Amino acid sequence: MSLLSTIRNKAAALTLFDPNTERPSRDEIFRQTYRLPANATLQASISTEFSLESSALYFPGRLLLSEAYLVFDSIEARSCYFVMPLVAIRRVERLASKAYLFALTIQTLHGLKFNLQFVGLRSQIEQFCDQLKQNLRSNVSDMRLLRKFLTTLYSEYMLSDTSTSGPDGKREPMAVPPGGLGQLFKYPGDARKLRDKSKLRLWAEYMRDHGRNLTLIRLPTFQKLIRVGLPNRLRGEMWELTSGSMYLRLAHPNLYQSLQKEYVGRTSLAIEEIEKDLNRSLPEYPAYQSEEGIERLRRVLTMYSWRNESVGYCQAMNIVVAALLIYMSEEQAFWCLSMLCDHLLPGYYSQTMYGTLLDQRVFEALVEKTMPILWEHLVKSDIQLSVVSLPWFLSLYVNSMPLTFAFRVLDVFFLEGPKVLFQIGLAILRINGEELLDVNDDGSFISILKDYFSRLGDSAHPTSKNDKLREVTKFQELMVVAFKEFSVITEDIITEQRRKHKNHVLDGIESFAKRTQLRNLHKTGHLSQTDLSNIYDRFFQALQSVRLGLGPTKTLMDMEGFQIFMQGITKWAIEPHDFLARLFHRWDVELRGGLSLQDVATGLGSIMEKDIMNSMAYFFELYDEDGDGKVDREGILQMSEGLLYITRHLTPKPAEGEDMSHQASSNGASPPPRKDEVAVDYLSSISAFIRRAFEYATPDEVEGDSVSEKLIPVDSLSSSNNKVKANAALDPNHPLHITLPTFRMVVLADEALEHFFAHDFAASMKLEPAKGMLREKGTLRELFDTLVSDSMRVAGEVKRRIDEMERQAREQQAREDAVASKPSNQQLQDDEDDEDDSVREKDRDILRGLEIEGVVDLPMKNNLPSRPA
Amino acid sequence: MSSLDSAPSAPKPTASVKLVLLGEAAVGKSSLVLRFVSNDFQENKEPTIGAAFLTQKCTLPNRTIKFEIWDTAGQERFASLAPMYYRNAQTALVVYDLTKPTSLIKARHWVNELHAQASPKIVIALVGNKLDLCNEGGENDEEEDRRKISTEEGRKFAEEEGLLFFETSAKTGANVRDVFLAIASKIPEEIVNKRGGVAGAKGRTGAGEGRVDLESRSGENNAGGCAC
Repeated sequence: MSLLSTIRNKAAALTLFDPNTERPSRDEIFRQTYRLPANATLQASISTEFSLESSALYFPGRLLLSEAYLVFDSIEARSCYFVMPLVAIRRVERLASKAYLFALTIQTLHGLKFNLQFVGLRSQIEQFCDQLKQNLRSNVSDMRLLRKFLTTLYSEYMLSDTSTSGPDGKREPMAVPPGGLGQLFKYPGDARKLRDKSKLRLWAEYMRDHGRNLTLIRLPTFQKLIRVGLPNRLRGEMWELTSGSMYLRLAHPNLYQSLQKEYVGRTSLAIEEIEKDLNRSLPEYPAYQSEEGIERLRRVLTMYSWRNESVGYCQAMNIVVAALLIYMSEEQAFWCLSMLCDHLLPGYYSQTMYGTLLDQRVFEALVEKTMPILWEHLVKSDIQLSVVSLPWFLSLYVNSMPLTFAFRVLDVFFLEGPKVLFQIGLAILRINGEELLDVNDDGSFISILKDYFSRLGDSAHPTSKNDKLREVTKFQELMVVAFKEFSVITEDIITEQRRKHKNHVLDGIESFAKRTQLRNLHKTGHLSQTDLSNIYDRFFQALQSVRLGLGPTKTLMDMEGFQIFMQGITKWAIEPHDFLARLFHRWDVELRGGLSLQDVATGLGSIMEKDIMNSMAYFFELYDEDGDGKVDREGILQMSEGLLYITRHLTPKPAEGEDMSHQASSNGASPPPRKDEVAVDYLSSISAFIRRAFEYATPDEVEGDSVSEKLIPVDSLSSSNNKVKANAALDPNHPLHITLPTFRMVVLADEALEHFFAHDFAASMKLEPAKGMLREKGTLRELFDTLVSDSMRVAGEVKRRIDEMERQAREQQAREDAVASKPSNQQLQDDEDDEDDSVREKDRDILRGLEIEGVVDLPMKNNLPSRPA
Repeated sequence: MSSLDSAPSAPKPTASVKLVLLGEAAVGKSSLVLRFVSNDFQENKEPTIGAAFLTQKCTLPNRTIKFEIWDTAGQERFASLAPMYYRNAQTALVVYDLTKPTSLIKARHWVNELHAQASPKIVIALVGNKLDLCNEGGENDEEEDRRKISTEEGRKFAEEEGLLFFETSAKTGANVRDVFLAIASKIPEEIVNKRGGVAGAKGRTGAGEGRVDLESRSGENNAGGCAC
């Protein structure tokens, strides 16, 4: 790995980019527009004229190619487009007859033929066609799966008899595909009134001429057919086609089934929450009074909670899924829910529900813009609109309107996207505007709308003399107002508004969360509210790379996060070390392998107390792993390393030496401190500490023979076994230990160490306000840029220095052999030899911050190889 | 029932009072409201999305209180929406489940939140619900006592924080009315805009109640109708 890429990775891990504040990439827009799976990229595009062989119509537009999809979109917005998986293409032929340029005839698996006539430079066209050919070839293997997939689609069943050229010409009678609960428990609404059969026939006709499911060509008629309401039997399939979840299901065959196997019998908080709501989801629909309906609902919600654990389960999902399952099979509903949560309603059901809150804010802004008088009235009367509108959005009107109407809204929503929710909401307010202006309180406001919803099936013009007009229902009126009058509310406007309000909403969520969490922290020593606030900021800054308001990615801090956190509040925690690990485990009181905010606050509260006795005891206990009041030889050595680790920056003294780059660090967020310091005082104190500790150590009773002889000559120790540290340091023939009183005595015998425990240790941690909070826009970008440019600048120099360092390290080794801390040196040497590469990597990591003189350097190097490259 | 007549009766000063219900999911917030508003109980109530809004009048001897009840969603992630609902609330019911210790912790959080963020004069009642699942002293040998939070624990907390305190059962209806009556009586007079005698409140409210015996279990200090 190159230095640059290391730094780049490091930066990526540390930071980062809030995906939503950044402009979406070309590929993102491509995927979003055509609802393609997450791995689709736009590989090529070309101007093309599209025409169906069976009709005289032709459409100029653009042909777009991704790995597995061919997309056509006409220039005139949405007058003709298709999204065709390459597996659904049976034949591609070069059209010879055309007099000019270059054209292809494509035949789909449903026998539909259409022509694509390319416009552009020959070379460009050929390039496109080559890519197309290549992609077609690489998709051939997926064709086997396609047959099975088609058996799950009602349109296949519906048209299977009349299909002129069925897949592979085989014409076995097709089994009825698995469908929604409506098939078993009747669909809501009166099918005759809904003119279900007529709609079905219209669809059959459309699909015979324009393809079906995966190969469907979408002409304006298609949109119209959806606007008038989908027929029951096709509804599920059309929802998954228009939402794009069909492509997800196609791309992940069997995933739903394997999830069920994988998570069988497992339980979680989300599942507990789901269980509470299973009997409370559209309870009036008969299927949800039955075992079958409840089971399907349970499985879909549970599997999604496993698939996306960060969302888990949010109330309202039960209602939406219950609605989907009336028309869709479980697997279809599962993928449709994924599409909803991940793309159509981003952040709606997340831990912080920021998407919901954001869209409420956007909705309010749109009301203000489009109906200023009503808005003013709401403000004046102190009616909070979102109180009313939030459930509309969160459960997609399913709970607000009678089901049959809510499904009609969903029909359009899946095709046209989230803007539909806004258009309908605005239309509701517009239609009821007069009445709403007459009321001044939430209660009346809500009851007007409730009443309106209950009468959606009534005539909008009951007193009109015109028969036609009298037949128009309030719901039809609503659709007209929504899609005509509010056609100005486009996807772009929504996107722009979301961008505008996003930070404000996230700020609100974050300050709420912070307030609540800080209030609920248990007693935390003598830390002030400001301290806690700073701890909170730094905790989450170290924990996650996106804004907290978007949802806590984690609540427990792992070792790596802990080091980042400690690095923020101390000068010494610039790289991992055994001491940090000990602190981590000590604070992890519930043995969860991670620290909660509470753990960190409590832990800091205890070590930041400037009480020498406590401080020494605390330090001692960190090394008394089994809690027997004794620290053995190995422990003593590690104590000294811990002390060196912490103290190596505490005593500012100019470096005497030449080399300032012994330990350089690249992982600091701040510019490298230009202090070339050496803790000479502490170094000698710590050497003395080791000497004294061994001197006053008590021999273990078991083999109490010759141990009283002061300390074991270090040389013999190091030479005995240098592979494993424990063995290197421990002579099994002479076990010894120190107790807390001995430790205190040894510490107090040295002025510098005494000062350290009385003051310096606690003072080395400073709870200053976190700088560069994630929320501050641009900071991260800058950080990354700085890292990259800095790294380029220093890259050359560093390489040179690394070699130099290693050479010096070895020299150092030799020099250090004379000192008592030799055992660890010895071990260092070995590790370095063993893992030369990882050392280099690690060196780059710590490139930024510190330069350390040889002496203090050693214990630190000890942990260099500890992290695998 | 007489005291909770929802039909407009004699011309008395009427005050609208905003009441918000807060508490962990599935402690019975919506059920308490349903019992209060419709004297009904439903085993499978649809979960509250965001919040539900209901009104109910509560007639005191000297005035009528019209409760505008905001019943909130209990799921943790809806918590950040709560400020929207408790904004301007004059009263709050913080509900916990007597059989679920975690729900009292959550209730404490809500009380803290209200003290810190809501209107300073807000009247808060702490309500331990699901009294029907508690079978103290083995009154009924068949039923196991599922109580996990003692009356003392609840009351102590309520006293420390200056809250009204009740233990209720939305299922049986025990004490549910008393909660709302006690709150109604606690509403400062200035809201009604007209001062009236309140001495007879207790007599009136007790009348016609079929479940008077259960009243003794509730916080005695609240049973009266004193408005001050």
